Amino acid sequence: MRLVELSRSEHAGLRIRAERVEASASDQHLVPIVVSEFRKAAIQYPIVFAKHPETGRFAPYVLNGLAVQENLFWTGTELDVAYVPLNVRRQPFYAPENALCIDLDSPCVDSSGQKTLVNPDGSDSSYLQGMLSVLGELVAGKAATEQFIATLLSLELLAPLLLDILLDDKTPLQLHGLYGLDEERFRQLDAGEIAKFWQNGYLDLVYAVLLASGQIFKLIRLKNQRIAASRAWHSNT
Amino acid sequence: MARPVRSICIVGGGTAGWLTAGIIAARHAGESGRGLAVTLVESESIGIIGVGEGTWPTMRSTLKKMGISETELFRECNASFKQGAKFSRWVTGEASDFYYHPLMLPEGFPGLDLAPFWTKYSDERADAPSFSAAVCFQEAVCELGLAPKLITSPEYAGIANYAYHLDAGKFASFVRQHCVRNFGIRHVVDDVTAVVKSDSGDIDYVATANSGRLVADLFIDCSGLRSLLLGEALGVPFVDCSDVLFIDRALALQVPYDNEQNDIVPHTLSTAQKHGWIWDIGLQSRRGVGYVFSSAHTTADAALTELRAYVGDRHGDLQPREIKIAPGHRQTFWKGNCVAVGLSAGFLEPLEASALVLIELSAEMISGTIPATRETMDIVARRFNEATHYRWGRIIDFLKLHYILSRRTDAKFWIDNRDPASIPDGLKEQMELWRYRAPGDQDFMSNCEMFPAASYQYVLFGMGFRMEVAHLPLQRDSSGAQRAFTQNETLKSKWTRALPKNRALIDKIKAHGLQRI
Repeated sequence: MRLVELSRSEHAGLRIRAERVEASASDQHLVPIVVSEFRKAAIQYPIVFAKHPETGRFAPYVLNGLAVQENLFWTGTELDVAYVPLNVRRQPFYAPENALCIDLDSPCVDSSGQKTLVNPDGSDSSYLQGMLSVLGELVAGKAATEQFIATLLSLELLAPLLLDILLDDKTPLQLHGLYGLDEERFRQLDAGEIAKFWQNGYLDLVYAVLLASGQIFKLIRLKNQRIAASRAWHSNT
Repeated sequence: MARPVRSICIVGGGTAGWLTAGIIAARHAGESGRGLAVTLVESESIGIIGVGEGTWPTMRSTLKKMGISETELFRECNASFKQGAKFSRWVTGEASDFYYHPLMLPEGFPGLDLAPFWTKYSDERADAPSFSAAVCFQEAVCELGLAPKLITSPEYAGIANYAYHLDAGKFASFVRQHCVRNFGIRHVVDDVTAVVKSDSGDIDYVATANSGRLVADLFIDCSGLRSLLLGEALGVPFVDCSDVLFIDRALALQVPYDNEQNDIVPHTLSTAQKHGWIWDIGLQSRRGVGYVFSSAHTTADAALTELRAYVGDRHGDLQPREIKIAPGHRQTFWKGNCVAVGLSAGFLEPLEASALVLIELSAEMISGTIPATRETMDIVARRFNEATHYRWGRIIDFLKLHYILSRRTDAKFWIDNRDPASIPDGLKEQMELWRYRAPGDQDFMSNCEMFPAASYQYVLFGMGFRMEVAHLPLQRDSSGAQRAFTQNETLKSKWTRALPKNRALIDKIKAHGLQRI
């Protein structure tokens, strides 16, 4: 990775291959999301919580696979999903501490790309404007997401998620290090807490996470299909 | 008529007083029932001795039960991780002579005992790894200066078993603050002027300079070496153990790091000297270093010369604090309505950090057995005394074990330590048995054991003790043993790569905190 701050003059000639953006998530079993994405993410993925490996701080993620570095939605050419998280769509741009940066080592940065960053007249291209709005939503969502997590932790609403799955071929599968909402504790919150959740929009977020938990069956089905396909392939060759 | 026990008065506010208060209050405060009232009286004018900078892993569950945050412990108490002890120069006295007593059990223990398999292998191979390196991965982690867990590990959970090094003074005020804030303990800061007994011989009340009489049904003596209640007021005699453990003096230094980035050694260093040994404990901002020695074998001046040689010339201006240790304990620990916890009960050299753990165990036992009535207190007291006597006995045996296996001949201190007259009979018997089989759970069958059989294995085999194994039935377990040795190598390679440096993790904990889950 080679992150540099984006300069409209210096990087005016850069071209981006947008079709490679989704490939960047092909080996990510977890992609971080912000609270403004919860409702959209819930139609596709389980929403889980995990600790950042460097700080131990919790963040919400969509779950793409049932093993480390597995993305069951990756078809080989694209992500077969109804919603692509902001943290995938923003590639190859980053916004560390609100600075606009680009990863010059990203495979998306390629002279054969169709997208340009700057129009001939020096203004931002519509592509870059789109990217800026994606990054803007991520930056804006950071504090709100941290606040939501802090609330969940202070009410002890997060609990380790025990995923103990038996696949069709009888392979046992366990996934560690993930956390989910403690539904039982949530049901025990008093009316005052629930009112606060309703006022600040946390009720929507909680229900998005609870509903999304059923998406785990989609992942199991995809995993079983993948194993069956690979079996069929091997028995035919 | 039955006299109910409703109030407890703890005298003394050092680590012993506040840990005891916290352990009792965490269990009883806010509970319905008899509504136990806890008072702690401590003097502003008497300082705390502040020994016991090393804990046992038990401290993790003790603090967790009290509702203390591990993150706060690191932020407030200059604390660091401790993963056992490295004993240097204890066997031959040479510079290359060392062994580990890690805090992790051997792989597969106690279901599988690797000791005879390792013995057999090392009988046949000169290049065999040390016992502790062969059976657990903690020595490798310690040698690399790594922490026992990750920033993603929850509070009090470890990948390798661990305890703490901490600043005892800061720790006492940290626990005090938590107890006063959370448990509704009555905190009296005053000097105790008299301990007044009733006709029955029980303590009626302690008189204070400005706060009047503190009356209670049960008194806990945490007054330190003075043993104000149990020793002075109730006249319980002191049992001297210096015929077994010779160390009776300490010279302590606080040694600064060269810079803030210096590694923090993740284990206690214990380096044998001519007339005792030097402890070296890495905290965040300094090292605690001290020489404990036998005043019958050397002078304080000569000991200081050895200590200065250990810490080096650049610390030549540091002035040591001298502490006199009377090795031993009270003849009885609970008499009438008074029980002693901490130094008031006794003290031994800090070789295996037994001071704080005895406080925890004593306070736990008191907390779990507080009698409902004064009439039943004598039964509880008798059982407490039996358990505590047993514990002191096991600690004395285990400490002595470190000395009797030394082969040092360079000073009378070491030779005298091997004199059979100085070795407890129980330990002599065990040593006879262990010539033919490894220490196991069958040797330690009480509910009040201190050190697991594995600890005896680490010290015995670490110090080069040879056991005969030819007669042992090893066939049945041999493939299981092979798997366990291989598993240990796998874990060693995994965790020596994944675990962070000790200081790096402590810095991260202070910056980000550990999660509770």
